[in-house]
Formats: sequence, structure tokens, C-alpha cells
Amino acid sequence: MYQYIARRLLLTVPVIFGVAILVFSIIRLIPGDPARAIAGVQASPEFIQQVRARYRLDEPLPVQFGIFLGDLARGELGRSTFSRRPVATEIGERFPRTFLLAMTALVIATIVGVSAGIVSATRRNSMFDNVSMLFALVGVAAPVFWMALMLQLLFAVNMRILPATGIGTWRHLVLPSITLGMASAGLMARITRSSMLEVLRQDFITTARAKGLNERFVIYKHALKNALIPVVTVMGLQFGILLGGAVLTETVFAWPGIGRLLVDSILRRDYPVVQGTVMLMAFLFVIINLVVDITYAFLDPRIHYQGEAGE
Amino acid sequence: MSELLQVRNLEMSYYTEGGRVRAVDGVSFDVEQGEVVGIVGESGCGKTAVSLSILRLLPSPPAKIEGGEILFEGQDLVKLSGERLRRIRGDDIAMIFQEPMTSLNPVYTIGNQLIEAIRLHQQLEGKAARNRAIEMLKLVGIPRADEVIDEYPHRFSGGMRQRAMIAMALSCDPKLLIADEPTTALDVTIQAQILELMRELKERLHTAIIFITHDLSVIAEMSDRVLVMYAGKIVEQGSVVDLFHDPQHPYTQGLIGSRPSMDVERERLEFIPGSVPNPLHMPGGCPFHPRCSHAMEICRREMPGEKQGENEHGVRCWLHLDKSDDQARPLRAAVGAAEE
Amino acid sequence: METNEIPGTGTQSRGYEEAEIPAVDLEDDVSTGTVAPRRRRGVSEWHQVGKHLLRNRGAVIGLLIIGIFVIGAVFAPVLTTHNPIQNNLTMRLQSPSTTHWLGTDALGRDLYSRMLYGSRISLNIGLISVVIGVAVGVPIGAISGFYGGKLDIFTQRIIDIMIAFPGILLAIIVVTVLGVGVQNVMIATGIASVPIYARLVRGSVLAAKEQSYVEAARAAGLGDASIVFRHILPNCLAPIIVQSTFQIATSILWAAGLGFLGLGAQAPMPEWGAILSDGRAYIRTAHHLTTYPGLAILFMVLGFNLLGDGLRDALDPRSRGN
Repeated sequence: MYQYIARRLLLTVPVIFGVAILVFSIIRLIPGDPARAIAGVQASPEFIQQVRARYRLDEPLPVQFGIFLGDLARGELGRSTFSRRPVATEIGERFPRTFLLAMTALVIATIVGVSAGIVSATRRNSMFDNVSMLFALVGVAAPVFWMALMLQLLFAVNMRILPATGIGTWRHLVLPSITLGMASAGLMARITRSSMLEVLRQDFITTARAKGLNERFVIYKHALKNALIPVVTVMGLQFGILLGGAVLTETVFAWPGIGRLLVDSILRRDYPVVQGTVMLMAFLFVIINLVVDITYAFLDPRIHYQGEAGE
Repeated sequence: MSELLQVRNLEMSYYTEGGRVRAVDGVSFDVEQGEVVGIVGESGCGKTAVSLSILRLLPSPPAKIEGGEILFEGQDLVKLSGERLRRIRGDDIAMIFQEPMTSLNPVYTIGNQLIEAIRLHQQLEGKAARNRAIEMLKLVGIPRADEVIDEYPHRFSGGMRQRAMIAMALSCDPKLLIADEPTTALDVTIQAQILELMRELKERLHTAIIFITHDLSVIAEMSDRVLVMYAGKIVEQGSVVDLFHDPQHPYTQGLIGSRPSMDVERERLEFIPGSVPNPLHMPGGCPFHPRCSHAMEICRREMPGEKQGENEHGVRCWLHLDKSDDQARPLRAAVGAAEE
Repeated sequence: METNEIPGTGTQSRGYEEAEIPAVDLEDDVSTGTVAPRRRRGVSEWHQVGKHLLRNRGAVIGLLIIGIFVIGAVFAPVLTTHNPIQNNLTMRLQSPSTTHWLGTDALGRDLYSRMLYGSRISLNIGLISVVIGVAVGVPIGAISGFYGGKLDIFTQRIIDIMIAFPGILLAIIVVTVLGVGVQNVMIATGIASVPIYARLVRGSVLAAKEQSYVEAARAAGLGDASIVFRHILPNCLAPIIVQSTFQIATSILWAAGLGFLGLGAQAPMPEWGAILSDGRAYIRTAHHLTTYPGLAILFMVLGFNLLGDGLRDALDPRSRGN
């Protein structure tokens, strides 16, 4: 088990390295002078010169990348060309809000999606199954920003029971997290359902029934743990979708997280912030997928033995 | 009477996209206490369908038991409530399946799956249940049973898994064990070992067994009585001695003729010309007639009734009916007279 | 065939690559006379798939939805009632009426006409980004899977890195570098789908490589390119088609998102996401500006998803019953 985790950890190193290369390239790929991109649009020629010296932009790319990595390791991400504050501070302030939003959404999506999926699978073709699968289809297809606006219109503008925008209380969290979780809930419901149906057809389910176990036990003990394996994999991907969705949801609900920061920074050409935000999001996604893979190994005993003893 | 199980006119169909498939068509047989009854036939003849019907383990839909009785110690399993049927499953009647690789749940240890049945039916808990499980694993010849019990199925070979399945099935001292091709998926040597084990356990535990296989050599070794199935029907039944020495039905004769004499190698029964009919387009009359070298006019029109011989040796074939029954006289002449 | 035994006792599905139809049509290959059975679908096989698809209620609904949008997009010049980009400041923010079926926007432009042209943009984005994704991702996956070795390890790491970015984030990065605009959105969503195709095709190729018909082709002396293009890729067609259908839907959603954020189509282009974004300011007074474009996106995406589901079922022999 520990071997498996160690191996999996080792595999993330090149990925994070690669992510760093990609983020490093962003500024250098944008047409124009990278020094100006880092310094900001209205920077003075002197300041641009300073930046060029600081990041050694006249030297070969590997040297520049070395500087970049060194800065990254120290959490030194440069300064925002818009607010003039350090990028790390800007991100540090907003990241917890995005994390809270994405996690709440993930929890909602998992609870709603997995339970709807189980019930749908066990009562295949029932009214419940049909209705929840219709909801799932719509949830997946609806653009998240539109959903956000519609919920805002309904609950904040018309019914006035929840705040439309901003942060502060738990009530501010309700609409953004539901919006964000909706698509994921739909996807998870569909995957849980089909995975459950697949597992229920397996021979070992017949074995379990032949033992005289009651149906609930067959479903919740024997089928569910097997059925959850693909669901957990999807959860990792969901987190990525949620981070992406956060960019849109935060924009609509004026939720001051890193998603909104990213969009604002792109529009303001505030590249140091763009760099920092992208790096953080990718890093986070890699970590989450690592956690998922480890969870996976706990669920499926076949996984972690494969590395050992050459079985 | 020591009849443990009496199956009477069992009818079971699958409802598929292509239409209704009569998988089990009027099957009747008995199993006495401690007796081993073999059911033999080619793939798709309905033998597995019979075995799964007994404990009502067929997925419904598409499967549906449409008629007949399955009397186990006098109570009809077809009509039993789910709750009462569950009390019989795994306790009085246990099953072993064909695919040991997929019949065990991959995400739980062998012990977990064994103990679960023991706790359910034997009112044993904790240490006692675990000890019983270890005892069962030892009984089926699994070495280091006290360690192996905590292993996951994927660490086991096919033969070991099948032993574990047998241990699981026998853990609650069933009165009847249904073994559905328990050796088919295994290597030849392992097959022999598993058969040896089952024979040994049969002697020791006096459990009645319904042994399902397409392999006549296995039947010969294991069974007291044999049922030969074709296209959902029993075409011949009798004691293993009678059946092998004096096969009556052309299909049985074909099966015995095609049996490789040297070894127990799995052999598709290809020496009978043709193949099993498409269940959606069953030929009229006797379903075997398109492949039968003795086929007569009447075979195409009408399914023969059962002729009982000595020693409860029964056969359903017109070849044997014309000698004793007046019904079969009009071999070529009768057209539509018997069509109902 | 065990038609009579319990249906569907098959092993757990591991995606489309193993769920190939084992339709074998024999074809004599080159002069050696070796017969290389190929599992490529014949005409009748596709006919079967089509028939199965039309029996699937969801797929038919999906096709209908897509059909309506396609007709709207193709015949937009005929079907529109107004010029989609001409301002008319006397008719600002009108509610739906007989002259303006879906109302007007803040500049007095007819929403119905704009949305009709918008369906052109969205369909284009969906199709072109998929073409880009397939054109780049499929060869990468095929080469990586077929040759294996260091090349495979290298491409796999690259793919890992691309997958480390959530799809829309990857698209946002590309747009950041390339600049805003519809064309760049197509490229961005296309690139964002490359790793998905590369993974999918690599898996299929790895599975196909072990099949006897590939061995036979190799024994017959066929070149690598010929084996890959004539024998392996045709067998990966089904998963690629299914994935592409879903990918069209995803690209449309991503593009609308980018448009909404102001990173996609620019004014006065009637892109749905951008229309929605413009309408946001008037959500209290003229919510038709947000409601209808959103519904349009929803239905178009739903259409492709339904079709994708149907195609997956139709191309998967396990679900077709024995």
C-alpha cells in the first residue's frame, strides 16, 4: 500500500514540473515583450528595465526557467500589475473562498448524485428513475453561468429569500454552491446508476443472493463498494470541472475567489496574477487526483498489489 | 418417501427483444436425500436455467417462471415469499457457480464473504463464526486456512477460488447443493482435484447434489442418476448405469458416442451433426429432429411423450414409443391429427 | 452462444475499446494470400447501428433537436426577421412581441435573429474544435500506442500535464496566449480536447495491437502505416465517434462560457454566451435576454449529449441484447 502511494507520489513530480513549464511559457508565448507583460501595460521604461534584469529575460530560456522555479519554490510569484500587491497575497486571500465553494459544491453533488444514482439503478425504469435521469441530463447540459443567473433571478430577485451576490454568511453560499454542484450531481447520478447496473449483473451478486442475503444487503454491501470505484475516479475529474465552473460561477455571484481573479486578470492583462492562479489551480487538481487514486486503492484491493511481487 | 426436491412441470421463459424464449419447457424430476443427480446437455439446453430457477435467482425481467412447482421438503419454492425463500437460500440449498473468477466479490476478503453466510444462517458471531469459516476452508483443502482467510479473491487461483466457493456453499450444512458446471472453467488437473474433493465431501456430508455439466465423463464419475436435457426439455433420464449402458435417445447415444474415451478433456460435443437450435425459432415437433439420424415424419410434427422403462429409465423419443404405445403407430400417416 | 443462460454475465466494462463488435469480414490481403480478418464494420453493420439508433427514444429526440438547430443555422438568412447586428435605439429592450418574437436587446437588435445566427457560430465552434481535437489527438494516440517505448512514455507525460488542467482552464490559457475571438476559441477548445482523444485512441490501439488480425497483417508484410490506418484505426472509429459527439457538446458549453466571460466572440457578434453576458445587466427588467440564449445552449448541448448516449448504446454490442 505504502509502495503504491509512494509510486503514485513520484509520478506527480514530472507532472507538476510540466505544469510549471506550461505556466512559465504563457508569458513568453504572448506576442510582445515578456518584460512588458510582467511589468504591466502602463509601466515606465525604467520599471520594464528593472523587471528584465530581475527575471534575467535577456538570458537563455533555461536560465529564466531556473529563476522561475526558484521563485515558485519560495512562493514568490511577483506583483500584480493592477493592484501592485504581491500575487501570493492576492491569491492567498481569495483561495480559501474558492475552496469553500468548490468543496461545498462537491459535497452536494456527491450526496445528491450518488444517492439518486443508487435509487435509480435499483428501481430501474420507475418514475423516480425517469425523473432523476431527466434532471441529470438537463443539469449536465445547462450552462453553469445561465443556471446561476436563473437561480439568482428566482431566489434573489423574485422571491428575495437569498442574497444575489457577495460573501459573508452561509446564505451567500447557497446559490453559488448549488449552481456549481448541479452539473456534477447530474454526471455523478448517471455514472453511479450505470456502474451500479453493471455491477448488479455480475456473478458475485448472484452468489450473494444465493447465500440468502436480503436485497438491501446485496445492494449496499456487495454492489455499492464495487460500483463506487468508477464514481470515485469521476469525483477527481469533477473537482477540475468545479474549479473551471468556479471561474463562471464566481463571476455571476460576485464571489471574490480565484476564479474571478483569473478572469479579471486576463481581461486586465495582469499576467503575474494569471500565472499564479493557473499554477495553483493545476497544482490543486493534480493533488486532488492523487488523493482520488489513493482512495481508489482503498476501495479496490486489486490495485495496490499489482505493483508488488509482480503479480 | 425421502424425496428432498420434486420439480414438477417447470416452465421458465426469457422475454427478450427478439421474443419469448422457452428456456425450461415442462421439466420434472426428483432428488432424493443424499442423492447426486446429474443434468447434462449442450450449452443453451436450459440446464443452468433449471438450476437458477430452483432458488429463483434469475433476473426478472427478462426471466419468468411461468408454471410448475418446485417442492422442497413439501413447500413450493415458486410460491414462497421472498423472506422465507431467503431463509432457505444458502442454508438448506446452496449453490456453486461456473465461474470462480467472477463469483466472488473482488472487494471483500474470502473470510468476510464466508463469515457473512455463517452469521446469517448459523447464529454464530465473532470468533466462533471465524473459526467455523477457517474450519470450512480446511475442509475443502485450502492450506494455511487461518492466514488465507484474510486474503482477497484476486490472490487466489481459479481452483482455490472454487474451493472457497465450495466452502462457502457447505458452510451452513445444506441439504441440497446445486453445482452449476463447477469445473468447466478450470484446468484439467484442477478439474480432477475439485471433482475428487466434491466426491469426498459427498461421502462425508451426505448432501444431495444436483450436478450440472456438459461433460459426460464428469457425470459418470459423480452421479447416481442422470437427466439429459435438450432445448429446454428432459429427453432421457435414468440411473447412471442404465443410461451409459443402454442409452435410448439418439441424442444421448450421440453424446456418449462423442465422448472422448481417454481423458476428461473438455470436449465440445461436436460429433452430433448440426448445432443447438436457435431458441427463438425452435423447430416444431421434437426439437432434436433436424439433427437426428433416425428422424421420422412424426418427429417433425409432435413432441413425443415420456416412455417409462424399468428402473425409472424414461425417454422421450418416437423410436421407443411405437413399440409399446398405440399413439405412435401412425408414423407417416397421421397428419395434424394430434395437433392441439 | 449461451443465449439460454443468464444474459449479461459479462465482465465489467472498461470503456468502449473492449466493446467492439466482433463482426468479421474476411478480406484477402496482398499477394501472400494470407487472410486477415478485419473487424471493420461493413455497410450492413452500419445499417444495423442506424436501425438501433432510431429505436432509441433519446437519440431520436437528440437528432431532432440538432436537426432544428442545423436548419436554423443553414437557413438563417431566410428565416431571420431582422438584421442581427443593426442597432435600433428606438426599440431597446422590448419584450417578446409579434414583430420581435423573442424581444430586443439593449441596442434594439432583434433577439430571435441574433440567436439564429448564433446557432451558426455555436455549431461551427463545436464542429471545428472537434476536427482540431481529432486531427491532433488521434495521430498522437495512435503513434504513441502503436510504437510504445520511450515515445509512448514521453507523450503520456505530456498528456498527463495537459490533463492536469481542467478542460475549460486549458481553453482559458490558450485564449490568454492567443487573444480573444471566435477563431481562437475554436483552437482553444480543440486543443483542450486533444488529450481526451489521445488517451482514448492510445487505449484502443493497445487493445487492437494484440488482436490476431493485426498479427496476420504484420505477417503478410504490411507496413506500419498501412496496419495503423487500414486495420487498427477503423476499429477505433466507434469510440471516436461517440466521444466526438459528446465533445461537440462540451466545446459548445466551453465556448459559451468563454463568450460569457468576454474571452470569446466579441461585439457585435451574436454568439450565445456573449448575448447572455450582455443581457445580464438587464436581468431584472428584460430577462428574456438571458433566458432564451441559455435555453438555446441547453437544448443544443442536450441534443448532442442525447445523440452521444444513443450512439454509444448502438455501437456497443453488449447493450444490443444477445
